[in-house]
This record gives sequence, C-alpha cells and structure tokens, in this order.
Amino acid sequence: MSPLDLVFQYWPAIGAGILGALVPRGEASTKQRAGLGFIAALTTLFVIWLWPTEGAAQAAQAPNEWPHLLNLLIALPIVGAAAVLFIPRQMLSTLRGFTYVVLGIGFVASLWLLTVPMTAGWHFQYIKDWMPSLGIRYHVAIDGISLWLVLLTTFVTPIAAYASFGSIKTRIKEFCFALLLLQGGMIGAFLALDLFLFYVFWELMLVPMFLMIGIWGGADRVKAAIKFFLYTMAGSVLMLAAIIYLVWTHQKLTGDFSFDYLALSRVVLPKSAQLICFWAFSLAFFIKVPMWPVHTWLPDAHVQAPTGGSVILAAVMLKLGTYAYMRFSMGLFPGPASNLSANLAGVAILGGILYGALVAWKQRDVKRLVAYSSVAHLGFVMLGLFSATPSGMQGAVLQMVNHGVSTGALFLLVGVIYDRRHTREVDEFGGLAKVMPLYAVVFLIVTFASVGVPGTNGFVGEFLVIMGTFLSERLGKFAGIHTVGAAAGVILAAVYMLYVVQKMFFGPLTNPKNKHLSDLTVRESLALAPLVLMIFVIGFFPSIFLDRMKESVLLQHNQFKVVSGQAILFADDRDAKLLPEDTFSPVFLKGMPKKEKTEEPAPGADTQAALGGEGKVAQ
Amino acid sequence: MEALKAQFPATNFTLLAVVLALPLLGAFVNGVFGKRLGKAGVRLMALSALGGSFIAALATFLLLPKGEGGGSLSWTAWRWFSLNGRMGQTIPIDVAFSVDAMSATMMLVVTGVGFLIHLYSSEYMVKDPGYHRFFAYLNLFCFAMLTLVMADNMAVLFVGWEGVGLCSYLLIGFWFGDEKNATAGKKAFIVNRIGDFGLLVAMAILLYYTGTLRFSEINASARNLLDPVTIWPFGNLPLEGQWDAANPNANGLYKAIVHLFLPEKGVQVYASTLVGLAMFLGAAGKSAQIPLYVWLPDAMAGPTPVSALIHAATMVTAGVYLVARTSAVFLMSPAAMATVAVLGCATAIFAASIGLFQHDLKKVLAYSTVSQLGFMFIGVGVGAFAAGFFHVFTHAFFKACLFLGAGSVIHAMHARIHDTDKSQDIRNMGGLKKFMPITRWTFLISCFAIAGAPPLAGFWSKDEILWRAFSTKIVAPEVARDPLWTWPSWLGQAIYWVGVVSATMTAFYMFRAYFLTFHGEFRGWKIVAGWKEPKHGHDDHGHDDHHDHHDDGTPLEGPKPHESPLAMTLPLMVLAVFAVFAGFLMAEPIHVEPLGHILSPVFTRAHDAVVLRGEGVEKLMWPMMGPGVAAFLAGTGAAMVVYLNKGGAPEESFKKAAPGLYRLIYDKWRIDELYDAVVVGMVDALADIFTAADKWLIDGVLAKLTAAIVAFFGTVLRTFQTGRVQVYGAAMAIGLAGVGFFLVRPHADATVDDSKLRSAGEVVISAAPGPGYTYRWEGTGTEQKDFSAAREVRINVNPGETKDVKLHVRNAFAQEATHSFAITRPGRGFPSSAAQPPLVPGTVVPAGGGSIPAKDIPGLINPRGAQ
Repeated sequence: MSPLDLVFQYWPAIGAGILGALVPRGEASTKQRAGLGFIAALTTLFVIWLWPTEGAAQAAQAPNEWPHLLNLLIALPIVGAAAVLFIPRQMLSTLRGFTYVVLGIGFVASLWLLTVPMTAGWHFQYIKDWMPSLGIRYHVAIDGISLWLVLLTTFVTPIAAYASFGSIKTRIKEFCFALLLLQGGMIGAFLALDLFLFYVFWELMLVPMFLMIGIWGGADRVKAAIKFFLYTMAGSVLMLAAIIYLVWTHQKLTGDFSFDYLALSRVVLPKSAQLICFWAFSLAFFIKVPMWPVHTWLPDAHVQAPTGGSVILAAVMLKLGTYAYMRFSMGLFPGPASNLSANLAGVAILGGILYGALVAWKQRDVKRLVAYSSVAHLGFVMLGLFSATPSGMQGAVLQMVNHGVSTGALFLLVGVIYDRRHTREVDEFGGLAKVMPLYAVVFLIVTFASVGVPGTNGFVGEFLVIMGTFLSERLGKFAGIHTVGAAAGVILAAVYMLYVVQKMFFGPLTNPKNKHLSDLTVRESLALAPLVLMIFVIGFFPSIFLDRMKESVLLQHNQFKVVSGQAILFADDRDAKLLPEDTFSPVFLKGMPKKEKTEEPAPGADTQAALGGEGKVAQ
Repeated sequence: MEALKAQFPATNFTLLAVVLALPLLGAFVNGVFGKRLGKAGVRLMALSALGGSFIAALATFLLLPKGEGGGSLSWTAWRWFSLNGRMGQTIPIDVAFSVDAMSATMMLVVTGVGFLIHLYSSEYMVKDPGYHRFFAYLNLFCFAMLTLVMADNMAVLFVGWEGVGLCSYLLIGFWFGDEKNATAGKKAFIVNRIGDFGLLVAMAILLYYTGTLRFSEINASARNLLDPVTIWPFGNLPLEGQWDAANPNANGLYKAIVHLFLPEKGVQVYASTLVGLAMFLGAAGKSAQIPLYVWLPDAMAGPTPVSALIHAATMVTAGVYLVARTSAVFLMSPAAMATVAVLGCATAIFAASIGLFQHDLKKVLAYSTVSQLGFMFIGVGVGAFAAGFFHVFTHAFFKACLFLGAGSVIHAMHARIHDTDKSQDIRNMGGLKKFMPITRWTFLISCFAIAGAPPLAGFWSKDEILWRAFSTKIVAPEVARDPLWTWPSWLGQAIYWVGVVSATMTAFYMFRAYFLTFHGEFRGWKIVAGWKEPKHGHDDHGHDDHHDHHDDGTPLEGPKPHESPLAMTLPLMVLAVFAVFAGFLMAEPIHVEPLGHILSPVFTRAHDAVVLRGEGVEKLMWPMMGPGVAAFLAGTGAAMVVYLNKGGAPEESFKKAAPGLYRLIYDKWRIDELYDAVVVGMVDALADIFTAADKWLIDGVLAKLTAAIVAFFGTVLRTFQTGRVQVYGAAMAIGLAGVGFFLVRPHADATVDDSKLRSAGEVVISAAPGPGYTYRWEGTGTEQKDFSAAREVRINVNPGETKDVKLHVRNAFAQEATHSFAITRPGRGFPSSAAQPPLVPGTVVPAGGGSIPAKDIPGLINPRGAQ
C-alpha cells in the first residue's frame, strides 16, 4: 500500500488531526498543537477502525488470541512498579518517563483486545495452577463486559498520571510506584476468574489507593484514607468468608477444592446460606460502588484525594463494585439476586439516583458535589443490573464507561481550579467564564455529558437503563414506578450540575482573587482532550462499544435468567446442590477445572442426583 | 428536478444530510475559529450555512412525493444503538431522518425564518464582543431544531429536543455576566428537563407496548396501546377488599385512613393515555403550557433575535409538532386529547390575562406566545392536527416579525437608554412611529395578523382551530370492552367560547402594546445615558403612582431613536408579507388550501376518530366565524379607545379601583412565587433533610457510632491490660470459677437429624456429650427406666403423627436436666412444594418417588449436619 493510499483511506483521521492542531488560538505552543492534533487523529482512527462493517465478522474468522496478553496487561504495571523502586528518586524525569512508557505500553497492548471479535464466552483465557492442593489457580480471561472496563483502566490511568505529574511535586517515586501497582491491581481484578485471585487483586489495589489519599491528599487525608480503607475492608472480609464457605461447600459436593468462578457457579447453596453469602459478597461490592447507605466514605475520600487519585478512584475503582456485582453476585447467587432485585432497585433509585442527586445539590465543595453525583450515576448502573434485561445490563456497562470518562474529566477540571485557587468552595467563584473561557467551555461540555444530554455519552447509558427498567420482568409490578423514579433523576442531575456551573462560571466576576486566573495550560488541555473526545465518540457511536459487549451481556443475561430460576426452584432449607453442567452454556464453562478422580459415578449421575426429587436429595 | 430526483432516491435522500450538516458546520467553525475569522467572516459563515440549508430544504420540499398517500423522503445515517424489546426482539435505533409534508414545512420555517433572523442578528449583535459565540449557538440551534423536525424516531427527536433546550439555555444566558440571565437560562433548562422526563417515560411505555420508537411504526401499531393498565394501586399495594382480608383486626381509624388511599377497584387507563399524558408533559415543558410555562417569560432575558427564533417561531412549537407527529397515539386516547385541549385552552386564556398589563414589551410578546401556543394545543387536542400545525406555521411569521420589531424598537431605545430593563419598558416609549416607520408598519401588520383580522394569516389559522373545537368531538377507538372515558359533547363548545375570550384579550393587549409604543408622544426624552430616576428605581411591581410626569415631553440631551439598518428591516418586511398572505395556504372556508392538501395524508388517522359533534353542525361554519371576528373588533376597539383616544387613563383608573387585582395580574398571578414556595421549597427542604441525614444519621451511625463502639471496647479492655500479675491472677480465678460452674451443671442438648423424616419417617436425635453424662429417653417407643450411656436414639414416626420425646441428662455430680422435642411428620396428602421434583429438561425423575440410599448420592451432602 503506497503512502497515498493510506492518505485516501484515512483522510478523516488526517483531517481531524489538522483540525485539532488548528484549534488552539494565538501563540499556542507546538506541543499543544501537535498533541491536540495527535489526539484528534487517534480518536478518529479509533472510530474508523472499530466501525461496524459487514466484512469484519468474516475477516476475523480465525481469532489469533495470544494467551499471554492478559498476563502482560497485569504483570507489566506490577513489574514496572517493582522496577520503579530501583530508579533513584532524584531522577524525576526518568521516573515519570518510565511510568509513561509502562502505562503507554499497557494502553497499546490493551487495544489488541479489540482485534478479536467478542463472541460470547471467554477470550485470551490463561490458566495455570497456583496452589493445586487448594484448587487455587491463576485463571484470567476477558469477555465483552470486562473488555471495556480494562480499556477504561488503561485509558484513564495514563491521563491521571499525566495530570498528576503537573500538580504533584513531592515523593514522585512513591507516586509512580503506587500508580503502577494500582493499575496492575485493577486490571487483575477485572480479569480474574478465580475467586482467590480476584480477592488478592481486590485487596492489592486497596493499598496504593490508601497511600495515594494518605500521602498526597488534602488536610484531612489520613482520616479519609482510614475511612476508605476500613469501609472497603469491612466488605472484603465478609466476602472472603463467603468465598471460603462456597469453596468448602463445593468441596463437599464434588470432593475437589476449587476457587474457580466457573466451577463455583454450579453450586446452589441452601436458601439461608445463599442469602447470607449473597449479602456478604454484595455488601463488599455495594460499599465499593458505593450504594446508599454505605456511601459516605466516598465524598471524604474524594475531597481529600489528590486529583489523579480522585480520577482513578471515580473512573475505575468504583466500577469494580458494579462489575463485581454483575460478575460474581449475579453469577454465583442468582437466586437472591433475582428475588431481591425489585427491592435493591428501589434502593438504587431512592438512595442513589434521587437521594444522591439531592445531597449533591446541597454541597458547597465542588469535589464533594461531584462525589455525590457519582452516587447518583452509579445508581443508574446498579439499576440497570438489577433490572436484568439485556438493554439494562448493556446500559449499565456502558454507563460504567461513561461515568469513568465524564466523572474522570470532572475531577480533572476540579483539580485545575484547585491548583490555581487552593479552594473548591463554589461561593469563592463566580464569573469565571470571563477569565477562563476555554476552561468554562470544557466544563460545560462535561457537565452536559454528566447531565445526560443526547449526543453525549451520558444519554445513551441512561436511556438504555431506563428503557431496560421498564421492560424488566424481574422488577415485576414495580417496573413502572421504578422507571418514573429513575427518569426523575435526569431532572435532578440538571439541577445540581447547572447550579454549580452557574455559581462558578456565570454572574459578575466579583472575587478579586479570581480576576487574574490563567486558562487551561497545555498539560491540562492535553489531559482533558481525549476524555472530551470520548464523550462525543460514545455519544454518537455507542454501537462500536455496545456491539462488542452485546453477546457477553446476552450470555450473562440468559444464564442469569435460567440459573436464577433453577436456583430458586432447587434451593431448599438444608442442602447444597450442584447444577448440571448443561444448565450453562459450554462457552461459559470453558476452562473449568476438570475432575481427575474417577471414583465418581458416570457423568450424569451427579446431575440426576442433584436434580432429583425430594427422596434423593435428603441424606 | 428529475435530475435531482435521480440523484437523491427517496429512501436514501442524502440531501437531508446537507440540510443538517451546514448549520452544524457553521456552529463548529464559528465556535472554534470564530474569533480568528472576525465579524465579517462569522457573518458570512453563519448566513451561508443557513442560506444553503434553506435552499436544500426548499429542494427537499419540492421533491416530496406528491399524490394520494403522501410519502416521505428518508435518510439513515448510521446505526446508533439497539435495544431489546419485551419479547427479546432487537429494536434498532438508527440515526435516521425522514421528511413528510409536515416536517418539510417545518424545515422551511426553521431555515427560512432562521435565515431572516440570522440576517437581522448580524446587524443587531454587531457591537457585541461575543459575536462569534452568538452565531455558533444560533447555528447549533438550527441544527438541533432541524434534527428535531426531521427525526425518524423518538430517540433522534429527543436529541434535537434536548439540543434545542441546550441552545436555548446557552442563548438565554448569553450575557452571563448578569446573574439574572444565567438564572433564567438555568430555569428554562430545568423546567424543560421536567418535560424531558415525561418524554423519557413515554418512550419507555411506547417501547414496551409497540416495540418500536419509529414514528411510522408507532403510528401503525398504535392500537397495541389499547391495553388497560392499572395505575392505582401500584406495586404490591392491595385493593381495599384485599387489605381488609389481610388485616381483619385493624382499628377503625387506621382502617378509614387506609381506605382513603386504597380504592375498591383498581384505577385503569389505557396505555395510550399514559403515553399521551407523559408525552404532553414533555410538550408542555418545551411549548410552555400550564403547568410548565413559567420559564418562557423569563427566557426573554436572552438577546431579542433569540426570543424571535427560539422562543416564538420554532423551538416552542416543538411540543405541538410532537403531538401532531404522534397523532395516532393521541387518537387512541380521548382522555389524553381532552387533557391537551383543556390545558391548551386554559393556557391560552391565562397567559392572555397576564399579558394585559405588562410593561415590558418583550414580556407582552412572551405571554402572547404562551397564549398562542395554547391555541395550537387546542387545535391538536381537538383532533384538528392540520389546523394546529397551520397555526404553528402562521404564528412563526407574525410572531417573529413582532419580536424582531420589538428588537428594532429596543435597538433604537438602546441608543438612548443603556439599560436593558428600561429600554424595553413601553412606558418609556411612545410616538416611535415617526422615528421608525418601517418597524411601525410591519409591527402593525403583525398585530393585525395575531389579533385575527380577516383575511390576514392569524385569522385563518385561529378561526380554523376554534371552528374545529366547536364542531367536532373525539370518539374512542373501538374496543371490545367499554371505553374507559368518553368525550363530553359540551367540551368543544366550552373550549370555543374560552378561545373567543382569549382572542379578544389577545387583540386588546397587542394593540395596547402597539399604541403605547408607536403612538402618542415619545416618553423617553428625559432618560439619557447614565441618568438615574430619582426616588424610585425601576420597580417590577409597577406601583409607581407618580408615573404621570413621564409625559412632559421635554427633550433632554442625547441621541434620538432611529430606524434600524436595512439588514434588520428587510427581515421585518419579508415576515410582514408572510403575515399577510400565509393564511391563504390553508383557508378552508374559502377552499383555498394548498398546504392543507399536502398535509392531509399525514393525519389520515384523524378521520375516523374525529367526528362532527352533531347533525347539521357543519352548516354553522360561517356563522361561527362571527364571534371570532367580533373578538378582534372588540379587543382592538377597546385598546384604541383606552390607549389612543384616552391615553391610557382607563388603565390608571382600573389600577386605582382594583389595585389588588391589578397587581395580581401584573405579578403574573404570582404563580412563580407559588411554585417557589411549593415545588422548589419542597425539593429544597427534602435536599436539606437528606443532607443533614447523610451527615449525622448515616455517617453518624455507620462511621462515627461504630468507631465509638470500637473505641469504647478498646478503652474498657485496655483497663485490664495493667501488667499487674495480681489482676491477671484474679481474672484467671474468676474465669475458672465460671468454667467450673458450667461443668457442674448438666445441659440437656441434642441435635435432631430429621433429614429422613419426610421420606422414611426416621429421626436421629443425638444428645450433646458432657463430663460423666448419662442419658434417659422418654417417648421413643422403647421405654427406658434407667440412665444409660446411649447418646443416640432413633425414632420412627408415621405420616401425620407427632411424637414427643423427652431427654433426661444426669451428670457426674448426679444433677439432672431435661429437654423435650416434638417431632411431626407431615401427612402424605400434603407434600410440601419444596419436595416437588423440579422440572428440568434433561433430567430423569424416577417414578414412584421412592428413596435412594444415601450412599448412592455422591453429589449430595448435608452441610449443616456436618457443622
């Protein structure tokens, strides 16, 4: 292919690049022009590349999945973090550069995940025995759901790093270490399919975030860090107990220890144990989301965290809660998840969408306000999951990405003004649009994304969730009232976001301290540009995201529907049971630990036993 | 023409992309590069974008398939996303546009009137530093409005719907340096969002019942919406009878309170009614109808061309457009239609009454817009969709002309008075006809048009609406069961007469504004730049008793008012021409209705549902035109007498005679205050309560209280860690004594394993062991006299039988304790549901339900038993 062909093929990207380079006005630095042009061109390329075409399905018939890709994604930042320890702390640019390189390689490598058609089931699966005596394996795999969350992580972390290096000036080495370790932990948690492994990553990412808040945070940072840690830890240990019970039950049923998510999915616990374990898991996840009433750690953590920490916390870490609920709570305990969904949806709406929005409205600290808006937005995500309809669940996954992009951008923007004024009280501001017009424009765009104006990413997610809620069978007679409540949330979103916009940007410029603020710097604008572009990319072309998650979501949805029905039917007061393998789709069970012992009766006997009448069940 | 047709096939009509892309391009270029382009460049970009769009829209209109069934031109841009419906079917939501006669007409209005207003603004805004920003917003608005009218489905319409709201927000707050403007913008957006909430709910219901969001498919499958839905009691709430049955012993007062809320019979409505009402909420938000009209008068804070384009000609009519677009849904529900008509009617008269005494020229026009929008909703509410839409069309011309005329006046006044409020106050105007003749004549023509002077545009459209309201009624769609609600026959006539009264008021306040502005002496002489009125500043409440000495007519220093430049007067003249002649596009009584002909295929479904009210009503068409004309004559005449001949003296005397009523009307019936106190106050209080609860209750209990408890135990336990051996020794002694006491007492405890109770009737009871324990069992069948070491006992129970087993325990110290168990085996006749073998495909359920020995069930254990 000659260079001219490339030009013809990718003219939109080249055009976008030139346009992006032209956007800065006046004596903008070459760096800014080149950076913006590059980002615009890359975003356009991304859209062109992922654009759904007819031939794409056939072209990628032989998926070439390199089995170590996920290992690379997880190990690279963790090894990088270890390597950072060997770089002298005086070599600041080396430290920064090394961090960029590691994160950059991670991002490019994660784009590779998109080359594979995301059919239902696991991709890039990699299994290795870790502690065979306990059935603990290193089992990682990706599907259409975790795909976007991993990409979100690898996309947002470099941005957060880039923005942080502008404002964080102390203990750079430790910061690089924490950031890389955090990245590794988060990606690992999104990819782990072994509950032990998942738990390790889940706890692993807690530590760097704890350090980030505690070291580089605001005045009350230690308190906030401890609160964050204790809240999350309280949920985690409950989850650990439930994991152990589940594994033990599985061992009793099959004679094998296994921490494997796929194997454990087959276990149907007795009714009461099911409920307790469901709550133990879900509480851990609800705290992380956070859902009302276990959300109060979030505003404190956000207010104290440094900008980069806030961005990662909001954009990625909260998603672990929603993702893990979707994967593990709904996957392992579909019975209670199904039975309780109408009630939980009520909590998500009243406590999240409505309550979160109203409390956000009353906050005077912009960062607190954005933190409470996260509670409201994640209420939508959880509602989508509780509705358990394909549309609702797709909307929920998309909304996770959306929230990562737009709230991440909001936190960056709040960081911008904090760096200049060292306050975030809205009453300190007013009329900023006059002195910082570019900042105002970007803030307004992100605000409208957060409000969910169509054309931005927020709308598509909320729309899918609201439609999914009304169509939901799971919510039964409450679907209508739930829909009304969720839709009312869109009013309140406008109320609190426009309130803060008006207070900060409009009105007369009265405070003399604000009169000479400088507009966005090169670094800030380059950090925000990809997020702002993604807002529109997702808003206008959501199908490039939805198409790749659709089959996985449908698989998860169908499985939830079938297994929850059976779990409700089978569960009795006393006995745990094992669902037959044919309850699940074979693509789901791919990679499940196979039995080595042959003492068992022929295959099918356990099936029969598990599903038999009451006479056989009792023992 | 033919070449164009070949170039643009009807199903892939890419010309629509041109119509849309040009304003978007203009918005982008002006927004991003506007400052570098300079004012001339911005003007060129904005005008050429709209002009090109207009030409493309005109071509689209001409290329519309003509003929009996009408037809549409459509273009699908890309697959936006897809949903899964109730049955799991995939529902694609495309970014698709389709244009029929109604949307093509709207496109012409948006781009045509839009172009004129752009032209006007290019001069009006010329001194503003935010020139490029203004045109970027204005172009973006046109793009959003075109998206709205061209949308092929509800979702894309919603994009335009919110897009115009967004631009409206930006343009109302265009001069954001003033807190008031920014607040007005925010209010507009939030009130509109309340409407959008309705639209979202409507979309959800439509998706559920019709499985589509495309307008053509919604209209085709609207009958699916004839599903009765119980709206009360919702959720798990019982009916009155069910509640009584569940709570037989409730006390009287409690019962009475519960009965207040719970109905005897569920309240049922058609799904179509729900969709209609939710959709009307959206329409009411956008089109400023009761109860959501409050944002529009405040929206006049934006630049005047914005008021003309957005808040008069195009955006505010989107609600009417939506109702007309989804007419098939509304026709399925006479109740929803009646709601639309009645609320439209109420808005018409209510807003007209507020308009009577406003002093701000733009406020008068704003309330007039609200009132005229009410007329449009009467039209679509009584099933006269074409007439309602026709009023949208004519109103766009004369109201845009009025607003631009007002802008021209304000522009002139601004030369003298550099104060937004004062330059818009008609008490400071007067006699402007000699300074600005073109503005005056175009304003006068438009006043005649809006007042309904035959044969101007407003007359034809308003008369058509009122006549339809008078003569027709909506019949319920035929269903097997009784219709849930029927259209009362008096409703149409009531609407008609209220409409006539509103029309009278319209004529009155429009001519009041006209006479006060253009006739008499110029009262603004004594106001010059920098001049402050002594004692009372401008007071919104208008109780200025010493208002008379404004009219002394002594000119002070300062510039005179002047006629506006050609770029501003040209649009006025064009619009005035349309205000005169547009009515003949659909003058039904004289059978000149080219527009009516091309619109009628769009509303074919209305023919079945909208019928004449009674025999011979159609003969009344000409007589019933009388009250309409009389309304015009009466209103105009009264205004002429009061303000031209008597110089406003009767208004003053009315103010003196009934100051309370006058002020109440002047203060817009204080609805804003009511809303502030009730709705806003309630939400605000709720937010305050939640915020306090979040801080003190939730965080207090979950974080502070738990921390306090931990700290308390820490404090208590810390006191034991003294390091003194004596204390540890004492603690050990006390502990040992406790353990000793426990060991000395016997404890009769047992584990009952009844896992085989149901199947085999066998129960194993094993007593807990202890030091030197011996056991004696009673009631096991095999009687025991003495204590023995047998810890376990096996009991057989027959179906339906209950056995009482008593356990005696004696320990090494010869002390005894007892415990009894009652073991019941359920009878054979009532197998519990848990025992039912579940039906799973691929599972063989053994016949006979016989039991299988436990050792054959390797996959089953009893976790609890092992605990």
